[in-house]
Amino acid sequence: MVRMLLTGNAAAAWGARLADIDYVPAFPITPQTEIIESLAAWFADGTLQGKFVTLDSEHAMMTAAGAAAATGVRTFTATSSQGLLYAMEALYTIAGWRAPLVLVNVSRGLSAPITLGPDHNDVLAARDTGFVQIHAETCQEVLDSILMAFHIAEDSRVWAPVLVNLDGFYLSFTRESVDIPDEAAVRSFLPAYQPKHPVFRASQPMAQGVAVLDSSIYSYFRYQLHRAVENAGPVHAEVSARFQAQFGRPYGAIETYDTDDAETLLVMAGSFATKGKAAVRHWRRQGKRVGLVRLRLIRPLPVRELTEVLSGRRAVAVLDQSLSPGLGGILYHEIAAALAASPQRPQVLRSFIGGLGGKDISQAEFDYLLEELETVKATPYFGQPELLFTERDRARVRQQLALAGKSPEGG
Amino acid sequence: MVLRIRFHGRGGQGVKTASRIVGTAAFLVGYQVQDSPVYGAERRGAAVVAFTRFGEEAILERGVIEHPDLIVVGDETLLANPAAGVMVGQETATAIFLNAESAQPLVEQYALSPSTIAWDLTRRTQAIVGVASALSVGLAAATARLVGLIPEAQLLSAVRRELMELHLPEGAIAKNLDLASEVFNALPSLEFPLRDGQETPQKISSVLYEGLLRGSPSILNTGNAEQRQTGAWRLERPEVNFEQCTRCGLCFLQCPDGAITLDQNGYPIIDYDHCKGCMLCQTLCPVQAILSKQEVRSW
Repeated sequence: MVRMLLTGNAAAAWGARLADIDYVPAFPITPQTEIIESLAAWFADGTLQGKFVTLDSEHAMMTAAGAAAATGVRTFTATSSQGLLYAMEALYTIAGWRAPLVLVNVSRGLSAPITLGPDHNDVLAARDTGFVQIHAETCQEVLDSILMAFHIAEDSRVWAPVLVNLDGFYLSFTRESVDIPDEAAVRSFLPAYQPKHPVFRASQPMAQGVAVLDSSIYSYFRYQLHRAVENAGPVHAEVSARFQAQFGRPYGAIETYDTDDAETLLVMAGSFATKGKAAVRHWRRQGKRVGLVRLRLIRPLPVRELTEVLSGRRAVAVLDQSLSPGLGGILYHEIAAALAASPQRPQVLRSFIGGLGGKDISQAEFDYLLEELETVKATPYFGQPELLFTERDRARVRQQLALAGKSPEGG
Repeated sequence: MVLRIRFHGRGGQGVKTASRIVGTAAFLVGYQVQDSPVYGAERRGAAVVAFTRFGEEAILERGVIEHPDLIVVGDETLLANPAAGVMVGQETATAIFLNAESAQPLVEQYALSPSTIAWDLTRRTQAIVGVASALSVGLAAATARLVGLIPEAQLLSAVRRELMELHLPEGAIAKNLDLASEVFNALPSLEFPLRDGQETPQKISSVLYEGLLRGSPSILNTGNAEQRQTGAWRLERPEVNFEQCTRCGLCFLQCPDGAITLDQNGYPIIDYDHCKGCMLCQTLCPVQAILSKQEVRSW
């Protein structure tokens, strides 16, 4: 094992390298490009054996990735934001093929207006594609999740692609201390890929991804994909246990932070959960019984784990780094639905929107959120999602609008 | 209560237009109406089906009609093709209308309901409109008359509207209106008891995970495209005149569907289960040894 300072992107490249990938179709996009640059260098100097191919778009890239996985080679690729959306058709298609590959998405807010900072609208747009979806909080978790992701994708109970998400800038360009496991240890955790099902081979004719004009059989295949992604829940738990036994780091479908005696919980996903943990620590020092739940597995949604940890609490806030216009925070609504069947569901479940386009979330915003939970008088469920926005943000908007030639507020 | 009509024909015979003319006519009378065709990957000559529903009340149904009150068949050669589904639900249908010279032999051959009415639309369409396959107006007029709920005036207005939407010239529309009147007045009206929708009883089956081999849309058996008998799409049939054939093999080489093989003497053998009747072989044959034989009367 080696310990190094690595960016999230470098950790992703290391994860793919240690997984001994055979094929990488690539297309650059900020803030992901560093991943494919690292892999390109390793393919070029012979560190990695196999094929690195630059494609002409993310759509072609994802299609090539799915086709490669269909031939039974271990396939890795990465994209971000607009690129993920450009590949959207192919995401559904290759998940339908049941191509067991790993895709890293480096989260970035979607246009328009165009931006480079992270939020989760890009990756959550892929939530219905049939990809298993894992969200990392740290650079270490990026590397570890990629190793686990291949394990899950290639498990015969799943056979579906897995997406590992890391936030742009806050992880992608941020260096942290990362344990790089030994290759031998990784080989024992994740052996070389040996497909046990028929794959495309010379002299082994078969057809994959065929047209199905009969609606019964279409329904059957789509539901099989649902079952496969559902199976990824227990498979993730098994793979996590094996990973922990081998490397010592535990990864649950959800992570709990100071939740044991907490009356109030904050739910977050991704790298901003680190900020949420800092807020919880701050509140704990003031004697407040507050904890944090981080959603790591988003597909399949860990309904049982969420229900268990959130039930019986007085108040829960879901801080979404996403916004579905006309609805609100995307994860808020999924969590509210998950809790609907729980007789002990929290009395208050509030929706907050923060960190859109990578906007920082200050302690003041976290404090406001907690105060709202403690003094809530308004609708306890499905009220207006509240945007976390400060006077300083307002001043910046005012200044920029003036620059753009807009008249002052009210004008 | 709703009246349900199902139209069968081949791509190009106007089955969709027939369902729309009946739909528009019923709409003009003041009924609640729904009409829809089913097609997609088919081509000219392949089986096409269309539906019209109408009634006094809101129609709380959608999609295919499994239990029609009236089955309208534009092309009797479809009866021989079970995949066309012409006979589905005929046991509960009040009547079947066949575009054919005579009902009796077909009723016997295909065990059709005795209340099957045949009328030779092809002959009259050829005579009046000049195109044997332009069956839409004749099928619609026969339907309007048989169901007895659509007066001639609304039928004619609907014919005009729908054909104008297809950009037919005024002369062609006039001929079609003549055809509509003739068919309408030549046929009787039947009694259609208006019924609630029927459904074949079914049981629910749960879908569990079945593994990758079964659960992914892949095909492991090769050569099963053979089971799709595209010969059913054929309107014309190529036949080889062996006395003239020089065994040059051009037809064998060029057949886009691989439906021509050579026998041990080098003469072409046509696989009629899969020949789609594109007639490319006839065009290519340097000695005109391939003849065309019309297979579908209404073409």
